[in-house]
Order: sequence, then structure tokens, then C-alpha cells
Amino acid sequence: MRTKALLLGDIRFQFKYGFYFLYLIFTILYISLLYALPAAWREQAAVLMIFTDPAAMGLYFMGAIVLFEKGERVLDSIAISPVKPLEYVVSKLSSIALIATAVGLLIGLGGGVVANPFFFVAGVFLGACLFSAVGLMVAVNIATLNQFIVATIPAELFINIPAIAWLFGWKPGWLIFHPGVCIIELCQNGAYALSAAFILVVWTVMSALFARFMLAKSLRSLGGEKL
Amino acid sequence: MKPLIRSFALFVKQIFSDSMLATICIATVLAACFIRFGIPLIEIVLCSYFEREAILADYYLLFDLLLALVTPYMICFASAMMMLTEYDENMASYLAVTPVGKRGYILSRLVFPAGIAFAVSIVLMRWFSLTEWPLGMIPLICLLTCLLSVAVALLLFSFSHNRVEGVAMGKLSGLLMLGLPAPFFLPSDVQYLFSPLPSFWFAKLCMERNVIFLLPALLSALLWIGLLSKKFIRKIA
Repeated sequence: MRTKALLLGDIRFQFKYGFYFLYLIFTILYISLLYALPAAWREQAAVLMIFTDPAAMGLYFMGAIVLFEKGERVLDSIAISPVKPLEYVVSKLSSIALIATAVGLLIGLGGGVVANPFFFVAGVFLGACLFSAVGLMVAVNIATLNQFIVATIPAELFINIPAIAWLFGWKPGWLIFHPGVCIIELCQNGAYALSAAFILVVWTVMSALFARFMLAKSLRSLGGEKL
Repeated sequence: MKPLIRSFALFVKQIFSDSMLATICIATVLAACFIRFGIPLIEIVLCSYFEREAILADYYLLFDLLLALVTPYMICFASAMMMLTEYDENMASYLAVTPVGKRGYILSRLVFPAGIAFAVSIVLMRWFSLTEWPLGMIPLICLLTCLLSVAVALLLFSFSHNRVEGVAMGKLSGLLMLGLPAPFFLPSDVQYLFSPLPSFWFAKLCMERNVIFLLPALLSALLWIGLLSKKFIRKIA
């Protein structure tokens, strides 16, 4: 019940601050771009767009969201409320993953690249949760937006480079254990899609739990006193 | 002058302590090296794979324009993010009523950083550009990209009420750059749909090498800055 209330609050927050409007514009733009590209490039381009934008939106926005909540003393209220850190993490991750999945699906369907809707949705949803969890881990320990941007660069490189290499044809078998590769594999409905789904679930759960741990630690030291 | 320099020093200190300064330095050099050495290498690989004479070579000028834009854009983006933080913490209004003043705040957060970006951009363009640039054209295009970056920072700050909206606006502001590839990929008159964007005229100016395009390039950039400055000043009042 608390998670549901938090989730609704987060969705309302994202709607109020223009996330839905922003991604409506970007969805139209991406679909138009897909049709401006040669048909042979469309699938790879669509997957690349989905992977680097809607799926990764948590890594981009989480810093601003958490810093805003810190500034408004939302986290102080959360710390003394019955809300558990895990509920807060689940709500943040799933609210962002919902919008990311909707946008990803629209781009995928618009570009005609959704081969297996189940794997596609799973890939974008879990990918968005993973990126958001990483964003949350970084965000709880920073004080400015510039710090957040800089601190997320290693994570972006770690997740993006092998995944993009996989998308463009460098596919050694062991790379399927990489979370970014799993997202690409699921979106493309590749030969290893089922294994990728299981691996990505493990990565997402692990990162969500680690984000929960980091958040709980940060909440304990709010206000300058370590509890 | 002293409060102004102190305010600018505060900006430099902040982005230095955030590691943003180091990141911008490394990122610009990496981007420049990638454009200068990576792109021709990729061109060779692509041409031999697809058995064609040129694939990316036709767009080297576009890469040069991106090179001219990358430094001022990153510096002004970092500046806008810092201003948003200062606004959220009410620092911007406080600074505006100190001897720094509104004018000083704009100078120390936007004009000085853009000035430094201008100098760095010229150096990068001189050493790392892929195409031949006539004398005088490099400072001109660097000046224009600096003006555009200032407009982006103003847009980002003026139209957002807090950091969250600022970051969303930052993403949206990337659309202002869409004018750069338009003349390269849209040969028909459809490209003029992008004419409200200064970046479109920058690309036209460099492609056509016709000074007539300097006027709309400069005017459109100044118009964006002028309109956004009013909103910016009202916001920090």
C-alpha cells in the first residue's frame, strides 16, 4: 500500500516536472528520425535510441530528482516515516521504468522493430530499473548536479560501451553476462534472449538492493547525526 | 571589478571541486582527438567494407562544426547547472543584491566562461579540424557557437523552476543543435523549417562560405539571447 502511494506520488512528480511532455517530444522526434534513415539501419538505430535514452533516463534524471528531494527535505520526512528504504527504491525505479517502457515501446513499434513484445518490454523495463538504481546509488552521495554528471560517467561507459559493441556485431559469448548486452539482446530478441532475461533480472535485483543499502546509509546520517 | 573576479573565482572553484572542470578538459580533448584521428580511420574502414570512395568525408565539415560547439556547450551547460543549484539554494538572488549585481552575475556565470570557451575552441579548431578553414572563419564560427551556448544556458535556467525541470530542459535544449545537420541531410527547401535555430545558419554559413549567411546567423543567436535574457533577469530579481 505504501509502495503504491509512493509510486503514484513519483508518477505525479514526473508528470508535473515535464518528464511526460519531454518524452512525448522525443518519441515523435526519434520515430521521425528512424523513418529518415535507410530501412536497413532502422532496427539497430531504434535499439540504440531506446538503449541510450528512455532506458537510461534514470541515470540522467535521478541526480536532479534526489537533489531536489534533499533540498525540499523530502528525504528527512522519509527517514522518520514508516516508509522503508526498499519501498522508496522500488517506487523510484518502477516509476521511471514505466515511462521508459512506454516510450521504448512506442519507438520500437513506430520503427517496426519489436520482434518479441514480451522480451522487448522486459528488456526496457529491467534496463531502466538498472540504470535508475545506479543513478540512485550515485545520487544519494552527491551535493551538486555537476558532481552527479561527472560521477555517472564511469557507469555510463561501463554499461554502454560493451552493449554498443554487441549491437554492432562484436559478440563473444561471455559478454552475455554484461547487463547492457542483456538489454540489447532482449530488445533485439536475439539467440540468447532467455538467458539474457535471467541475467538481467539478477543484475537489476542486485543493483536495487545495493541502492537500498546506500540509501539506508544515507538516511541514517541525515541532518548531520549518524543514527 | 574585484567582486566580479571573486564571483567568477567562486564559479571556477565550484566546478573544480565538482571535478567538472577536469571532466570538461578531458572530454573536449578526447572529442577533438576522436574527430581528428578517429573519424578518418572509421572512414577508411567503412569505405573498404562498403567499397565506396567516400561515406563520412562529405560530412567532415559537420564534424568540425561539432568540434567548434563542444567546448562552449559543455562549459555553458556546467554553468547553467551551477546556476540552477544556486537558484534552488537562493544564492542567485543573494548574489544579485551584493556588489556583484545582476550584470555581474551574468558576466561571471555566462560571459566569462563563454569567453574562455571561445579561446579554447579556436585552439581546438586550429589543431584538430578535419577541413581547411579560411583565415578569420575559425574565430567567427567559434564566436557564433559561444553565443549559441550562452543561449542554451539562458534557456535552461530561465524556463525551469528547479533542478529537475532544469535537467529536463537541458535534454530539450539539445534540440537547438538540430539545425547543424539540417543543411547536410535535407537538400530541399524543407531545411528552412530549421531556420529559427541559429545552428541552422551556422551550418549554412560554413557550407556556402557566403558572408550573407553571417547576418541571420548572428541575428538569430542574438535574438535568442535577447529574448531569454529578459526572462533570466526577471528570474534572478
